[in-house]
Amino acid sequence: MSTVALQTHGLSKSFAVKRKAAGLSGSLRSLWHPQWEEKVAVKRIDLKVDRGERVAFLGPNGAGKSTTIKMLTGILHPTSGEAEVLGLTPWRERTKLAFRIGAVFGQKSQLWYHLPPIDTFDLISRIYELKRSEYLARRADLIDRFELGPYLDIPVRKLSLGERMRCEIAVSFLHRPQLLFLDEPTIGLDVVVKQRIRELVLEANRVEGTTVFLTSHDAGDMEELCSRAVVIHHGGILLDAPVDRLKREVLSRKIISLTLSSSFEAGTLPDLPGTELMESEGRRLKLAVDLKQTGIESVVSALIGKFRLDDMTVEDPPMEEIITHIYGSGG
Amino acid sequence: MSTADNESRQAQTALGTLRFLLTCWKVNLASAMEYRLSFFLLAGMMFINNFMWLFFWSLFFHRFPVVNGWSLSDVMMLWAVGAGGFGWANMMFGNFHRIAPIVSGGQLDVYLSQPKPVLLHVLASRMSVTAAGDFLFGLAVYAWVGEHTLSGGLRFAAGLLISGLIFMGVMIIAGSFAFFFGNSEGIASQVFNSFVALSTYPADIFRSVAKVLLFTLVPAGFISYLPIGLLRDYNSGFVWQAAGMTVFLLAAGSLLFRAGLKRYTSGNAIAMRG
Repeated sequence: MSTVALQTHGLSKSFAVKRKAAGLSGSLRSLWHPQWEEKVAVKRIDLKVDRGERVAFLGPNGAGKSTTIKMLTGILHPTSGEAEVLGLTPWRERTKLAFRIGAVFGQKSQLWYHLPPIDTFDLISRIYELKRSEYLARRADLIDRFELGPYLDIPVRKLSLGERMRCEIAVSFLHRPQLLFLDEPTIGLDVVVKQRIRELVLEANRVEGTTVFLTSHDAGDMEELCSRAVVIHHGGILLDAPVDRLKREVLSRKIISLTLSSSFEAGTLPDLPGTELMESEGRRLKLAVDLKQTGIESVVSALIGKFRLDDMTVEDPPMEEIITHIYGSGG
Repeated sequence: MSTADNESRQAQTALGTLRFLLTCWKVNLASAMEYRLSFFLLAGMMFINNFMWLFFWSLFFHRFPVVNGWSLSDVMMLWAVGAGGFGWANMMFGNFHRIAPIVSGGQLDVYLSQPKPVLLHVLASRMSVTAAGDFLFGLAVYAWVGEHTLSGGLRFAAGLLISGLIFMGVMIIAGSFAFFFGNSEGIASQVFNSFVALSTYPADIFRSVAKVLLFTLVPAGFISYLPIGLLRDYNSGFVWQAAGMTVFLLAAGSLLFRAGLKRYTSGNAIAMRG
């Protein structure tokens, strides 16, 4: 059996997009003289992922992440280029491939909205033609691992987004996919639920050897779930590197947002190496911390010692900033 | 893989697809039952709505008992076959007239990521609640004025089958244009309304070009002539033509949909099922 899970050569996708000037006159002109332009969504991507790898496919909105994943799952036909997923060409052997892969689209649910998740489990078992005994055992295992017991009999429309996403991901594991595509699985979720979902996917990779290919615009998904990161921007690959290296070189900054109990006065910030005041307004301020120069713990304890705090959050820099940094450092 | 393995795999998949369809219908019915009151009200209202039309036709036939060879019972059977056929198709394959919005809204992603025939999966993923009223109306009218013999029952069943499949074939073709012309929801909805309207009038009231169109470009005539050519005065020539048109429409629809998938552009709209 080949050790390669997926491979692409010059994979590209363009869409014809209609341009229209603003207003009614623009609409009328467009009616008689429509103007189309080619929008390149994915530009000659060469990629190789080995079986068992956990790859984060990152990029800001509109970078081409979802389009790439849709070509690799056979949903979209490419404009040019080749791709092989588990030895099959996705858009030519879609059905055969679909039996062996799983896909979770953060914004496209496969759960029946008005029915409890247990009914979708039944339907999915038929879609993947699982033997009844095998299905029941697998379902029991997933319910246990994903802690779905309390939600199984509640209509999906009544579940929270986090509960629904847990069900979505559990359902996608039902047929034991060899390769799991996750398209923005943590979009809109709070930090606790995000963390739980990352743990569950990680466990599936460890226990069942599932290859994970994940798109996200959240750097945290990459840091905690993946061993390799591929950053895509304007449809092309900007960086392909181990996550450890990226953490060292690019993700060494954290953003701390504070809400003080009284107004912030300029010049009262503790003097900490590598800490920079990004913005302040009334009681709110935002700091950037360079972890190469100072640890996050010492910054937090210095802030707590100096100010009375109403609220504090520590975040990764936004993906746009990471991309800018990668550009700045020459990829 | 050997030929025997391939055949066994195909047989397994055919059986698997049948099991999938049965589960899909079960899940659809369960989903419709989630709102019991709405389910019974909608189905009941459609049942009554169809009878209202028959009431108006009865007023007309009270004044003109026979029009171009059609009597009130023929028109009643036309409604039974038309509404009944539309009803079962809309119950079992309730997305057949919603293909255009599904395609232009980029909602095929989940269907395409799963190992079942995409068109069949899309069609069977929805059950229309009101359609149960249409179907029951068809059966009630047959019970009232239909021919209660084995042959009459079988011909009525064949009429329901042909009518439902023609509705589906026409709307699959109209809906698949969305792959080629972008947002063609309006066109598909226009085709749907015109086709439903044309299939509820006796085929013989149309003459010359209109009649030719009714049996070619807009083949509603193959539904609206069923009460005569299949049920009252069995005409094997017409029945074969109707069956041929049914097969042609379904095959053309499937091929057009399949060709369209290559042009599918997906989308970023949030989509839920059921």
